[in-house]
Amino acid sequence: MNAHAADATTVEEGLAIQQEKAKFDTKAATDLAMQNTLLTPRFYTTDFDELDAIDVSPVREDWDALLARMKADPNKGHFKKNEDWDAIDWEGMEPELKKEFLDFLISSCTAEFSGCVLYKEMKRRGTNKDICELFSYMSRDEARHAGFINDALREAGVAVNLGFLTKEKKYTFFRPKFIYYATYLSEKIGYARYITIYRHLEAHPEHRFHPIFKWFKEWCNDEFSHGEAFALLMRTDPKITQSFANKLWIRFFLTAVFSTMWIRDHARPRFHEALGVDIDWYDQEVFRKTSTIARQVFPVELDLDHPRWRRGLDAMDRAFRAMDRAKARGGPAGLAGRMMAGSRAALAFVSLYTIPVKKNDVPESVRLEPAY
Amino acid sequence: MGLFTRNTETAPCTVEVCHKFEELSAHVRLDNGAVIHPGDSVQVQGPPVMAPWDHHVVERRTAKITRASALERFWTRMTGDLEFMELCEFSFSEEATL
Repeated sequence: MNAHAADATTVEEGLAIQQEKAKFDTKAATDLAMQNTLLTPRFYTTDFDELDAIDVSPVREDWDALLARMKADPNKGHFKKNEDWDAIDWEGMEPELKKEFLDFLISSCTAEFSGCVLYKEMKRRGTNKDICELFSYMSRDEARHAGFINDALREAGVAVNLGFLTKEKKYTFFRPKFIYYATYLSEKIGYARYITIYRHLEAHPEHRFHPIFKWFKEWCNDEFSHGEAFALLMRTDPKITQSFANKLWIRFFLTAVFSTMWIRDHARPRFHEALGVDIDWYDQEVFRKTSTIARQVFPVELDLDHPRWRRGLDAMDRAFRAMDRAKARGGPAGLAGRMMAGSRAALAFVSLYTIPVKKNDVPESVRLEPAY
Repeated sequence: MGLFTRNTETAPCTVEVCHKFEELSAHVRLDNGAVIHPGDSVQVQGPPVMAPWDHHVVERRTAKITRASALERFWTRMTGDLEFMELCEFSFSEEATL
């Protein structure tokens, strides 16, 4: 359709051409607006023999109760759209907010998706009945969450592309204990993040700019129970959390995970502003909740009130921003800038890592229920 | 498996993609029981497996497995742990500035 209204010889013809063109433009706009987002989950492998060797007998009672609840699947009916799912004016959303919010949805979807792939792989490769059962429920929940976010993305005109399957994928390796630390923290921090936003929006519903936040409560209960399962796994063998080297690892994980969250959240000012959330407050609050929960299994706890804590986090944030600027600049100056920023980030990390930790005697009984 | 050389092999596989409201998932299963080790790469042959909205697609395909060299496998085992941050769901992509 190359006709142009200016070429028309009569008014009627001109109108007809304009109408035709309008139809075409709408279709093109829809096609274009349906951005294609390629999901890029990572693929992992681990020491499956070590995983199979886990014996949950020391925590059998708690384990069975938790698994029975996961099997009963109390959240099955929760992830449905009902009348609470308000219509959203995506077109009218402020572009910066839209960009940050879409980033939030896409990254969340990818994270759930990667979890689903990892857990399913562990279930498939393992032979230990207890472990396989756990991973099958976790994989189920993650796929469900991913589907729910995917639907919100479709509404926003973003189609996820699953074409990654036919791309070459390299499998990286994690030792089982690293999977425990990382996924335990990730699930618990996910719970703390979601529940903090949920409670905040309960008090300030005027800031709820998308209905997905209404689903956060039950959603984070899934995260919470996944975390519980990893807490139990870590308690099957005291060495995993109590040996000298592993205490240092746990400290490392806490520092790395908390500071990464700080950096990423601070890079999304519009998203948090729209929610009416002060990022400094929110992140500290999430750290506090996570630290309190993690007393169930970690023998050390970061000192979030230490004067070096906030200073270190801010230094880290500045170093990462400098790194981004240097990357954008490119060339030799960019390279120098990156090295500089890298060393600043490393120094900030060392400063955070060396803050004396608080010792914690883990309780006799591991299990917790969501209480926030 | 050589110290520096990579071998390739093929394996029949089942690709499953579920693109529904209740579930979004995609998995590749190697049907001959081939085991993937650290540093190996897997590529499913053929055009992308596309599941339209509300469909659950299961396809039999062939996967090309590129086995890591002994050195690569060792390296991936030693360093893979450091990529743990990817397991953490922070709900935001890693770019510090968007």
